Amino acid sequence: MAPITPLRASEISEKARRELLLLLEGVRGKKNLVLEKALAGPLNLLVKFSTLQEYGVDKPFFLENDNVDSSQRNVVFLVRGEKAKTVMTVAEQIKRIRRDSQIEHEFSIFWVPRRTVVSDQLLEEAGVLGEASVSEWPLFFVPLADDVLSLELDDAVSDLYLRKDPTPIYLSARALMLQQQRYGLFPRIIGKGDQAKRLADLLIRMRTEVIAGESSNNQSRSYLGLTPSSSIDSLIIIDRDVDFPTVLLTQLTYEGLIDEVFNISANQTEVDSSVVGGAAPQPGQTGSGSTSMKRKVMIDPKDSLYSTLGDANFAVVGNLLNKAARRLQSSTERNQLSAKTTAELREFVARLPGYQAEQASLKLHTSLAEEIIKYTRTDVFTRSLEVQQNLMSGADPTTQHDTISEFISRDVPLPTILRLLALESTTNAGMRPKDLENFKREVIQAYGPQHLLTLASLEKMGLLAPRGGAGLGSIPAAKPGTVTNYAPLRKNLRVWDDEVNEAEPNDISYVFSGYAPLSVRLVQSIIQKQTLANVIKPSSHPQASAQANPLAQGLRIFDDATKYIRGTTFDETQKGEEKAVKARSMLNGNHSDASKTVVVFFLGGVTRAEIAALRFIGNKLREVGGEGRGSRIVICTTGLVRGDSLVGSAIETRRFG
Amino acid sequence: MSKPTANWEKVGDKFYRKVQLYTGVFDPDLELDKCLVVGALGSGAVAIYRDEGKVHAYRSGQASKSSIDIYSCAGKLIRRITWEKGTIKGIGWSEDEKLLVVTEDGAVRCYYDLQGDFVPFSLGHGADEHGVVSCKFYSTGFVALLGNNHLISVSRYDEPRPKLLAIPPADPIVSWAIIPPAYSLSRSVEVILAIGTTLYVVDATDAEDRNFTAGPFRHISVSPRGEFLAFYTDDGKVWVVSGDWSEKLSEYNSRAKTVPKDMQWCGSNAVALAWEDEVHLIGPKSTATKFYYDAFVHLLPDVDGLRLLTNDVCEYLQKVPDETVSVFRLGSDSPAAHLLEASSLLEQKSPKADDLIQLIRPSLAEAVDTCVKAAGHEYTIHWQKALMKAASYGKSVLDLYSSDDFVDMCETLRVLNAVRFYEVGLPLSYDQFKRLTPENLIARLTNRHEYLLALRISEYLHLPVSKIHEHWAVAKVRHSTADEATTAQLIVKKVYGKRGVSFEQIARAAYDEGRVALATELLNYEPRAGKQVPLLLDMKEDTIALDKAIESGDPDLIFHVLLHIRKKLPLASFFRVINSRPVATALVESSAWDSDRDLLKDLYYQDDRRLDGANLLISEALSQPDVSSATDKLHLASKYLADSKTHATHRTHIDDAIKLLKLQEQFDKDLGLSPSGPAPGPPSPGPSSHPASYVGLSAHATIFTLLKSGHTKRAAKVQSEFRIPDKQFAWLRLRALVAARHWSELEEIANKTKKSPIGWENYVNEILGAGNSRVAALFVPKCTGASAKERVEMWVRCGLVVKAGEEAVRAKDGGLLEWVRERAGAGAQAELERLAAQLKGGRGR
Repeated sequence: MAPITPLRASEISEKARRELLLLLEGVRGKKNLVLEKALAGPLNLLVKFSTLQEYGVDKPFFLENDNVDSSQRNVVFLVRGEKAKTVMTVAEQIKRIRRDSQIEHEFSIFWVPRRTVVSDQLLEEAGVLGEASVSEWPLFFVPLADDVLSLELDDAVSDLYLRKDPTPIYLSARALMLQQQRYGLFPRIIGKGDQAKRLADLLIRMRTEVIAGESSNNQSRSYLGLTPSSSIDSLIIIDRDVDFPTVLLTQLTYEGLIDEVFNISANQTEVDSSVVGGAAPQPGQTGSGSTSMKRKVMIDPKDSLYSTLGDANFAVVGNLLNKAARRLQSSTERNQLSAKTTAELREFVARLPGYQAEQASLKLHTSLAEEIIKYTRTDVFTRSLEVQQNLMSGADPTTQHDTISEFISRDVPLPTILRLLALESTTNAGMRPKDLENFKREVIQAYGPQHLLTLASLEKMGLLAPRGGAGLGSIPAAKPGTVTNYAPLRKNLRVWDDEVNEAEPNDISYVFSGYAPLSVRLVQSIIQKQTLANVIKPSSHPQASAQANPLAQGLRIFDDATKYIRGTTFDETQKGEEKAVKARSMLNGNHSDASKTVVVFFLGGVTRAEIAALRFIGNKLREVGGEGRGSRIVICTTGLVRGDSLVGSAIETRRFG
Repeated sequence: MSKPTANWEKVGDKFYRKVQLYTGVFDPDLELDKCLVVGALGSGAVAIYRDEGKVHAYRSGQASKSSIDIYSCAGKLIRRITWEKGTIKGIGWSEDEKLLVVTEDGAVRCYYDLQGDFVPFSLGHGADEHGVVSCKFYSTGFVALLGNNHLISVSRYDEPRPKLLAIPPADPIVSWAIIPPAYSLSRSVEVILAIGTTLYVVDATDAEDRNFTAGPFRHISVSPRGEFLAFYTDDGKVWVVSGDWSEKLSEYNSRAKTVPKDMQWCGSNAVALAWEDEVHLIGPKSTATKFYYDAFVHLLPDVDGLRLLTNDVCEYLQKVPDETVSVFRLGSDSPAAHLLEASSLLEQKSPKADDLIQLIRPSLAEAVDTCVKAAGHEYTIHWQKALMKAASYGKSVLDLYSSDDFVDMCETLRVLNAVRFYEVGLPLSYDQFKRLTPENLIARLTNRHEYLLALRISEYLHLPVSKIHEHWAVAKVRHSTADEATTAQLIVKKVYGKRGVSFEQIARAAYDEGRVALATELLNYEPRAGKQVPLLLDMKEDTIALDKAIESGDPDLIFHVLLHIRKKLPLASFFRVINSRPVATALVESSAWDSDRDLLKDLYYQDDRRLDGANLLISEALSQPDVSSATDKLHLASKYLADSKTHATHRTHIDDAIKLLKLQEQFDKDLGLSPSGPAPGPPSPGPSSHPASYVGLSAHATIFTLLKSGHTKRAAKVQSEFRIPDKQFAWLRLRALVAARHWSELEEIANKTKKSPIGWENYVNEILGAGNSRVAALFVPKCTGASAKERVEMWVRCGLVVKAGEEAVRAKDGGLLEWVRERAGAGAQAELERLAAQLKGGRGR
């Protein structure tokens, strides 16, 4: 029996697609679609616009623009219903259309991912509940690549860390629970961070609730759904606030840099058309705003060329591109000259579209890379990178202050400044109160008094803090577990690697050219203990078997390291009835440990550099046959983040006057 | 035992059979001819309602009140619903045995459990004004016809949303029928109206005339799967048309003078016409047979046949299933018939049995299958047994045969026979049972309070029993007269710990009955926190509800409870409630930040969260349209922090902001700019544009813009006001001068100033960045702090290769000179050659 692959991306997107089309089919005739901007990206990934048209969608509108017209009788809203504000917006628009329009409209609301009690209540109070037929589109995970599932919650960071709103935790739990019901329980849930602990608790709680409610909702659901899975090894939950510095650093992989420079959202990025060549705006694009200058470019993880580039350190991307260009040229030319037999010719012609696609992709990435090189050559980029590297390698942070001050005087974009300041604060357990006050004053003077709020938000998120306790100087020292102490971690987890090799990476530190992301090191300490142990403490005899490293035993590295990292540490096992467990393993075929899946959940977002690092680990695990644990790593997250968006959620955008 | 073919009737080349299900069904006094009788699909319950349009024999002591009576097919009264709600214009069943009653004024009641509990809703769309004329029901919904020919469709009962269909012409409607959405081409309900001599097809969007002239059509009937339509014309003919209207399949002349009272499909093969005591069954190819009764007969259509109901008998009319035909037909030589024969010979211990088996040996497996299936279609236990025995015999001869179907059939037959028993009265046919599914059968049994049977069947078929327990407990709560404690004990003892039983449902039932103590007691046994919330809110246990909601982790529920409490409690007590619950506070804060700032202000004040309070005021100040109101808000914010030492610096910043705004306003006035002008540009506007207004700029941007426009004094004032360090001021000045292209001023700096707080290299870089290498070059010699190499590079970048060469020579660095030469153009080569020589010469010396 073929083993079941849990959390398969294609399966998840197909399910979501089907559910949406079924909903659309339920609304008879042509309809206008009003969707939230944040949903445009995921929608575009799942369904082509032409398919939507086949299902009767006439024109798409953005909820935020409040411009849906009365051209169609049917109006369909596709909106996230978790926030009271969006619910009210929907209600207002329904009222507006009803008031202004001549004809009678049929309203449908598809809440994503679920219909909430509060939304019903609010709609009722607004007097529109009776008018609209309400359904839900249970879109939880949106697959961005085969091994990356994202909830695409844009507000997750500000919800979790600024407003302390547990909505993302709950939605994550629901999403994971759905997977558990499909593939069985995660045999083990392990992780780090206060919010992550809450997620784990919620998962365990939901399990008992699902069992309690099992047959009342769905009589045919098998008992097997809630026994430990035989194809999943474990769930590792990493809370983002355990490791903010990784986000704050500039990502140095190719994909990471595209994200830093152009900002990728839902595998799409907007690039100035002068960079990638003016091209016909794709007609299939959801959304009306294809402005004249910007062009949307799909960053497709399935593109063969891109798949070799995306996770590579940017330093080697130039070489890779050159190689690809040469290979492409030689294969096309030689074939053209020497293709003598008709069979060869036919083969060549058959492959031609592939070559053309590759050529196009090569052109695109060459121009993108050129643009990025321009960016990386700027003075600000190199010097801020220098500051970052110095901070991460453990230099005295005060030596970096001059550069930051100069940046402020030179009106360097605020996010860059805030990233550097936050980086210093989070890696050194806060800043000296005097320095912090100084920088605060400089930021306010240089960027405007509205940033009083920005700075306050950053402090709330824990990105900026005076050393020696929050707020009051009188509290003597930070309580253990509230700050991360990097000094011992540099040794215990070797988060700084001086001998980094970007071209032929031998350790995950290549993604930041030196810094090995703490979050990924934690994952490594659980699933790749041997290798990590050897990285930390290379054995004196190189020929001695790697198995012998005493550090690799049990959870020693993990336990040692987590002492110095903020947030709760937890490790839960989920067991089931013995009989059911046996039945499941019989049904699914006995998985050898090596082919099991490890699910890594980043609560609060993951960076592309971390994804690259985790993929690197996954590849290594496969190579050596996996150290007795899973080798397929699936990354789940509330959304993808980068430094600018992390500090951006704190930045106040309004101005006085 | 009577022959199984005794009740067969040949219609054309097909056999039909009329199975007698129950006899002595109704009280002979019940005047069925004066009643409306409707039956639920799948041999479900029958609802009988006295037709008010007809005269009744007066009987003393009874029937002064009208009622809807729900009977089982065997005539057992399940429930009597007294009715005093006005004229009933439509009564029908959904496939899950919900009884729908529609009154003339458009009010609908959905009785969901056969026990008289109902959910009301209203049709709207002018139904109360024009009145409902009649209704047609399908498995999950119905369509109502109004007095003005408008049609209203309801497609689901859990959330009924009556929709107006397209509007047909207003001429009188002779008859009408519907095609259920599952079988229509458009996948939504379609209505066929006979108007005048023609037919209209109406759906949600349009009403289409089908251009018939043969009408008026007195009856229209749609076959159960919508594949055929039957029409009864005024001149006594029955037309059968295919469901897509493409083909007229047959025409039958009934030669009847009176229009029949009803026309229904019997399965998908035959049409039945009913007069008072006569039924015509019309098969394909216009063949027909007739049945006569001595009492008034009602037709109750079902998915695979037709129930016929009179006062004393309930019969089932269906096409004889193919398997049954092949086994029992007279003179049948099918393998299955031989197998049955062989089995009976075996019983008589005749050796011929084996001969027969050998005869059909090649198709024995098929014969076994046929016998098993035929057993399923049989109603008498005798023949069921005979067929199963035959199958068993046949299968014992076969080497390899999967007995799954056989076993399944045995189980199914046991269940079917049990529920067909007259006291239960569910005469399901095999097909109906398959369509209904065992789970729904259990639901029907529990609705009839047949708990023991339901439990036995569930256990027998390995189905979950939680629903039955739950239903039982709910019924117990409603009807038991024992005191609360005993009832609770009884229920908990029986039900607690059983998987899937929702104590919340039971508790809610108790609460609805007004037994609050019992409800509270029972609710404690509910393991799902979230489930308890709504009931707790209803029970006014708000804080417990909040705690349970928090426990469930669902922000939606928490918020729901909070909204509820917020409406009920005065603000102070509301804050007290949320104060001790951080999650609740966070949610209140987060939502109030979007929608209810005043609440937030009160919250911060109450909690003495001064910094947050002040920040809220700053945020409000940001939304103010003009400077004076913004500064007012900022003053408030500043005052808010007045007594707090810890936030002194924050306060200074706020005061600075006020100062800055005032200063900027002053500048605007002095320089003739409008403060409320168009949206101000970005903090550092491009070189060409003058600022629209200074208001809103940061201190740095203010200085920058002032310097750029040449207001040096004012810039100096800002610097001193806000104690901006010289270093930063120097940067601002440099950038402003470069941005404004004030080269002469920069030259002046180069010539006059000796020291720069930010070093001179930055000048070179910035000016070069703006493209003026001439001015940049002026600063290179001043970079005394830089190494020779750096200076050489600067010279090269300024385009002065020779100078660079000289610099290299001064540093006595041959390598550097070589580096310069590589970058030099042809013109400078000679000079550099000379310099190189000089350097060598110098060395030589």
